[in-house]
Amino acid sequence: TEALADEWNVSLWGKRRAFTEHVEKLAELVSEKTNGEFTMNISYGGLSKNRENLDGISIGAFEMAQFCAGYHRDKNPSITVLELPFLGVDSLEAEIKVSNAVYNHPATKADLARWNARLLMSSPLPQYNVAGVGTPPRTLADFDGLTVRAVGGVGAALASLGAVPTSVTSSEARQALDSGVVKSVAFAPHAHLSFGTIEPAKWWTTNLNPGTVNCPVVVNIDAYESLSDAHRDALTSSIDEAMQHYLDNYNGATMDAWWPKLEGNGIEQITYSDEDLAAFREAAAGPAAQAWIEENTARGLPAQELYDLVLKTLSE
Amino acid sequence: MEPIEIGLYVTGGLLVLVILGMRVAFAAALAGLVGLFWLRWNQFDYDPERFGKALTISVKIAGQVPHSKVSSQALSLIPTFILIGYLAYYAGLTKALFEAAKRWVGWLPGGLAVSTVFATAGFAAVSGASVATAAVFARIAIPEMLKVGYDKRFAAGVVAAGGTLASLIPPSAILVIYAIIVEQDVGKLLLAGFIPGVVSAFIYAILIVGLALTVPNFGPPVGGYTWKERFSSLPPAAPIAFVVLIIIFFIYNPFGGDAWGTPTEGGALGAFVVFCMAIYRGMRWPQLRDALLETAKLAVMIFSIIWGVLIYVRFLGFAELPAAFSDWITSLNQPAMLTLVLILLAYAVLGMFMDAIGMLLLTLPVVYPAVMALNGGEFVSAADSAFGMSGPMCAIWFGILVVKMAEFCLITPPIGLNCFVVAGVREDLSVQDVFKGVTPFFIADAITIAVLVAAPQIVLWLPSQV
Amino acid sequence: MASSSSVLEDGSLLSRLDVALNRVERVLALVSGTAVFLLMLLAVVSVSGRNFFNQPLPGYVDWIEQAMPLIAFMGIAYTQRAGGHIRMDMVVGILRGRLLWAAEFITTFAILVLMVLLVWGSWAHFQRSFDFAAPLWSRDSSMDISLPIWPAKLLVPVAFSVLSLRLMLQLWGYGRAFILGLVEPVAVPLVQSAAEQAAAEAEAVSGAQG
Ligand code: NA
Ligand code: NA
Repeated sequence: TEALADEWNVSLWGKRRAFTEHVEKLAELVSEKTNGEFTMNISYGGLSKNRENLDGISIGAFEMAQFCAGYHRDKNPSITVLELPFLGVDSLEAEIKVSNAVYNHPATKADLARWNARLLMSSPLPQYNVAGVGTPPRTLADFDGLTVRAVGGVGAALASLGAVPTSVTSSEARQALDSGVVKSVAFAPHAHLSFGTIEPAKWWTTNLNPGTVNCPVVVNIDAYESLSDAHRDALTSSIDEAMQHYLDNYNGATMDAWWPKLEGNGIEQITYSDEDLAAFREAAAGPAAQAWIEENTARGLPAQELYDLVLKTLSE
Repeated sequence: MEPIEIGLYVTGGLLVLVILGMRVAFAAALAGLVGLFWLRWNQFDYDPERFGKALTISVKIAGQVPHSKVSSQALSLIPTFILIGYLAYYAGLTKALFEAAKRWVGWLPGGLAVSTVFATAGFAAVSGASVATAAVFARIAIPEMLKVGYDKRFAAGVVAAGGTLASLIPPSAILVIYAIIVEQDVGKLLLAGFIPGVVSAFIYAILIVGLALTVPNFGPPVGGYTWKERFSSLPPAAPIAFVVLIIIFFIYNPFGGDAWGTPTEGGALGAFVVFCMAIYRGMRWPQLRDALLETAKLAVMIFSIIWGVLIYVRFLGFAELPAAFSDWITSLNQPAMLTLVLILLAYAVLGMFMDAIGMLLLTLPVVYPAVMALNGGEFVSAADSAFGMSGPMCAIWFGILVVKMAEFCLITPPIGLNCFVVAGVREDLSVQDVFKGVTPFFIADAITIAVLVAAPQIVLWLPSQV
Repeated sequence: MASSSSVLEDGSLLSRLDVALNRVERVLALVSGTAVFLLMLLAVVSVSGRNFFNQPLPGYVDWIEQAMPLIAFMGIAYTQRAGGHIRMDMVVGILRGRLLWAAEFITTFAILVLMVLLVWGSWAHFQRSFDFAAPLWSRDSSMDISLPIWPAKLLVPVAFSVLSLRLMLQLWGYGRAFILGLVEPVAVPLVQSAAEQAAAEAEAVSGAQG
């Protein structure tokens, strides 16, 4: 049978960066495999506000989108388990593994299906660390009263130190830092580079590692199911290669650019002692997990099961 | 049909609606909604059975925009900047400023007109809206100028032109709107407007002095104030300086430390100070209620245009028109500076027929990316760029240029809003009179714009200090 | 002073409806203005908290985002009634009589179609954030202090519905003026010359001692 041409709109935000390389690669591979019959128009912010990409998927405004769970925990409670602080994820590979485990859980699928969304792949990020202006927090006590742009579990963990999470989306983070809405921003290195928060920054924490955010790429279920077998196959068979490209790029190019940037900008690197970090983990991890399980059980999610799944996957 | 073609047809349709007198906010929203629908149905090959689906999708996309775009922390500056202007009026700051300016510079040739310019510049430091400034000063400054024998048309022209300073000198609602549309730092843009605003005021003043020296019976200087009288005129106007200091410290700390907060907070704190003063000067609930209603009306008007235009912009995003325009602009085989000057001239023409905010909102989504591309891209370094400045600096420079163009439009016929406002306040003046009186200021504005194009450091020096 | 509008009134049903709706619109507009005032106070609290007590206001940005729709939408019908949404009136300004009322009727009708569609679209936007089964009925909450967003989203279709009512009254007014060939109909903003319009605006800031 004659294959119909498919043209998908993909809603991302910001600009092309390490965080979006797997989507760019996926579009490239799919087009190659289908001789240009299945194409993806990737838009950086033109199709939707980043906090509303799930709404756009649900409407059918576009066929594919990326979003972060912490932007709107009520929209996607199931995957916020991956944003809990101090889960002990130590590599991008582990982050992919644990994300996929949660994405494949039936409760997660049902949660996202409310938005007519199907989870396609993750966008693994390393542990967040804080960069900022003003007085450097050389001890954990200095976080008391510090305004920090941090969402999800990272925000909750920093709040346990007395910091005040003040959330703006990543696109607005630089502006928030410049204008004083926040004194500091918690990001993964690529985002500090890409959103320019490293430019005004005077200091950066090297080993706070409180957690990360989870930002899946989803597709509209109807659009996915209406693809011809050949096109759907081209899409699903490209995911692994796209993810590998993402990992190579992140571990290579991004981190290679990161350290010289810190030196070049004369940024003070703050390293905390093991005892300090242990105390921080103690104070933040347990209560956050407990609160998450209680809140989401009340929502009707198998919260304990999801949490155990995360721990089990990471221990394997 | 190609999306880009639909983009062009819908944009043409939008212009027709605006010319026919449909309210700009709703014309833009309707054009955007129709465009979204057209694109979708085109994608469905105009299949009658999928009409409903195409309509549902496009209506839901458009229906997201108003709430989504308006709930922004950065936009909250606009209503605060409007409120502060109305409160300043009730706090008696307008009159105090004019009196002080008169005593200090009234002795110059054309002294009262020069005083008006500097008083409007001073008021600009608390008022975020040009039209409000022109309206207030038409009441206060024109009668005084007529009393000593100024030509009534010229007196009106001075006020109409002086009013435009409010949008360059911070705080400025229109600069905030620009910053939000192009996603640049609001604080730096506000700072960048300061020196060009002062330069504009001085060019106006020099023009007036020149006219006073050459035109017979222009209007006498107003002198004879003792130093004691001069200094005693300052305290009543002093709160302006206080508010200005607050706003400056919240945008950027001149002593090198952190700014004290955000521009939003600075504006709000300034408004609070002026509010307390207005209460002290006798403002009560009826006046406050009127100030709040007027603020609401102006804010709603601006916000409606913002979300209306953003529905149209969402459609443009799907139609990929901005990218196509910027490809076209950068492919032109001519110097980048010539292209920029042509763009500014196009604004001058468009501005004759349009309101400033509507014009910027309608054009920037397409024109701004093109100008950035012309300079070499958003992240270009100064060394590699066409205009000799980095991407972010180009964004600031172009912002000040288009805002100055938009202000120029407030005094050009046939739709020069400031002139209408001034004529509206004074029953003895027709709009034609005001347009006639304001004509010399076209020259002053043309000079100012040429200076800002030729010497970008006037714009960029202050923001580059931050 | 401030509410000086160019809308004529008489004892007819249309005019009485106009006046009644305007009372509602004015209250909503005052809500909008009051929200600006509260935003100002909120900033003062936030600044003092941060600078004098080293305690920034948690959720400051969340609260601003909640207040913005109040400011932006509540006064939309009030502004429409007063003819306060800007337009280019070069063409409309030279039309007279039936031709004028026909032009006004057509553009007003276009706005009504738009607003009815946007009531639908913004209601759908609200619905996606609302869930009877969820805690606080919320399916979308703010980032820092988890305020439910549905109340703010609900404001949009509410304000647009009031505007739709206003537009229907204006259509009635323009239609009546067209059929009867009226010169100064009630319940619609009269096309003033731009100068008259500006006079009204200027009067708004000239009532006090200045
Ligand atoms: Na100003
Ligand atoms: Na004009």
